[in-house]
Amino acid sequence: MRGAARISRPTEIAFTEARRSDWEELEALVIKATRRGLSRFDARDTARLSPLYRNVCADLARARSSRYSAVLVDYLDGLVGQAHTVLYGQEGRLLDGLLRRREDNDPLHLAFPRAVRRRWRAMLLSFALFFVPMFIGMGLTIADPHLAFRVAPESMLRPLAEAYTHGFDGGRDASEGVLMAGFYVNNNVGIALRCFALGVFGGLGSAIVLVQNGLTIGAILGYVIAQGAGDNILTFILGHGSFELGAIVIAGGAGMSMGWAIVAPGDKTRLASLQAVAKDLFVVVVGAALMLLVAAGIEAFWSPSAVPSGIKRAVGGGFFVLVVLYVLVAGRGERAR
Amino acid sequence: MRAPLDTVVQIETPEHIVFEHRLAGPARRALAHVLDLVLCYGVLLLVGIAILFGVVGGAALSGELSSLAKASVGLVLLLVFIVQWVYFAAWEALTGRTPGKRALGLAVVTTTGRPIGVREATLRNLLRAADVLPVGYVVGLACQLCTQRFQRLGDLVAGTMVVVPERARGGSPIVLRPPATAAELASLPQTVRLDPEERAAIELFLRRRGQLGAARERELAELIAPVIADRVGAAGMDPVRLLALVFDLAARAGRDEGPVSSRGGS
Repeated sequence: MRGAARISRPTEIAFTEARRSDWEELEALVIKATRRGLSRFDARDTARLSPLYRNVCADLARARSSRYSAVLVDYLDGLVGQAHTVLYGQEGRLLDGLLRRREDNDPLHLAFPRAVRRRWRAMLLSFALFFVPMFIGMGLTIADPHLAFRVAPESMLRPLAEAYTHGFDGGRDASEGVLMAGFYVNNNVGIALRCFALGVFGGLGSAIVLVQNGLTIGAILGYVIAQGAGDNILTFILGHGSFELGAIVIAGGAGMSMGWAIVAPGDKTRLASLQAVAKDLFVVVVGAALMLLVAAGIEAFWSPSAVPSGIKRAVGGGFFVLVVLYVLVAGRGERAR
Repeated sequence: MRAPLDTVVQIETPEHIVFEHRLAGPARRALAHVLDLVLCYGVLLLVGIAILFGVVGGAALSGELSSLAKASVGLVLLLVFIVQWVYFAAWEALTGRTPGKRALGLAVVTTTGRPIGVREATLRNLLRAADVLPVGYVVGLACQLCTQRFQRLGDLVAGTMVVVPERARGGSPIVLRPPATAAELASLPQTVRLDPEERAAIELFLRRRGQLGAARERELAELIAPVIADRVGAAGMDPVRLLALVFDLAARAGRDEGPVSSRGGS
């Protein structure tokens, strides 16, 4: 038996000499693909890649079964691994991955509200966890404004209330707008993303972030209202609030969904259930982040502007109706498939 | 085949070929992360200094910020956001590795060994916010130690792992120098039986010869040479030379692996 095997197998040196040119060609293609991307391949490269890869796979199998030297086997192992990465790559381009090449083939602007509605129970829960504490906080500080100093320092709240009492007649200059836009992006989008991420602990993290932010915002709101600037601050908030608070509720709902996937995995393992749900929630989180970017722009440049408050309220109300309609109605009925 | 070490994952391709990825451990990944942080906050610091000197100047001390300064603070805040939430996800979505990972030879792949896409990159980096808790990635580290593939929470959610892709470097075959003399060949049988482990051990030894002192080289060779000498009936030959000759014969014979273990018998 060993004799037969010896006849059918070339020696390692003969094998290496016969196959080396293919290995080097594949190596060059792999380097080209990783450095400059598959889009730079010409027709010949593309046609060569897959047969070369399959041949090298066969070489690796042969080298292993023939017990060729460890260096050769390692080399072929690495080459197959790298070529596999190139050949079986997915969604190479950032924008493609975001906008088009997702499995369900829905464009993002329809996939987002659909995914939100699919998770309506989590979204409702998130809504309650945010707005109930907010109204409680607001009620408490309207009744006793001093309670507000427990969530925010007095030195911050007093000037704030004062500013809202004066209204926005002066408006804000553009540079302050840029400053505040940077602050809102950093702060609010960060809160929403963290609210989603912490949902991985069985949804508890999201719940805590929602309740905490609801209470804080409610308390500050109540304090300012108690100081007699209620009209102004509500006008201010109405402009961007539907985007901002809506997005935070949606991000929180996504976090709760993720947590629920671990708590009640159904017929999957907990890990598989978590991964499947997270995959589905990706589009929700991206959508919520985009809503917050819009909100930051409005909050920095439009809400504090010197436009008469009547117009501001009308526009804010318009935004509110738009957001609600978008989330509840967009993409309904005309399923892609 | 021996069972692989537990820091190696085997991946089966659609061609039914199994190849291996070495997993990256927590220390190497932490180092890559520190490098990324140094890079990011280094750039931020430079921007901050540039703003301080170029825009704010002496006016900062007098209290009132100029409008240009306010705008640039907004820009810095935007950069902080990008560092915290965008930098890692964008690099990994585009190239599968951040600059820090590249420097340490790491790459992120899916657990099936494929390159990651935008979704995986985004999810695993969003979940950083959970891994970093309560301080300094304690949750992430604990999770890495509990999972088979050193996955932190973000990796588990996105179905990814961090590997050290093997550099594909062709090693040169081992050449017998000086070539075997007729007398040496006559004293050895035409075929030599080496089992895979013996073969691997001798190969490793021969490749390291250049880095060993002569005495150490001989000492190591003497560990295995007597067994081989007994088998091939070549007593009295220099042990190092014997191993080189035997390996050369085995390599030339293509596959002559002998019985699975030839140590006890024959």
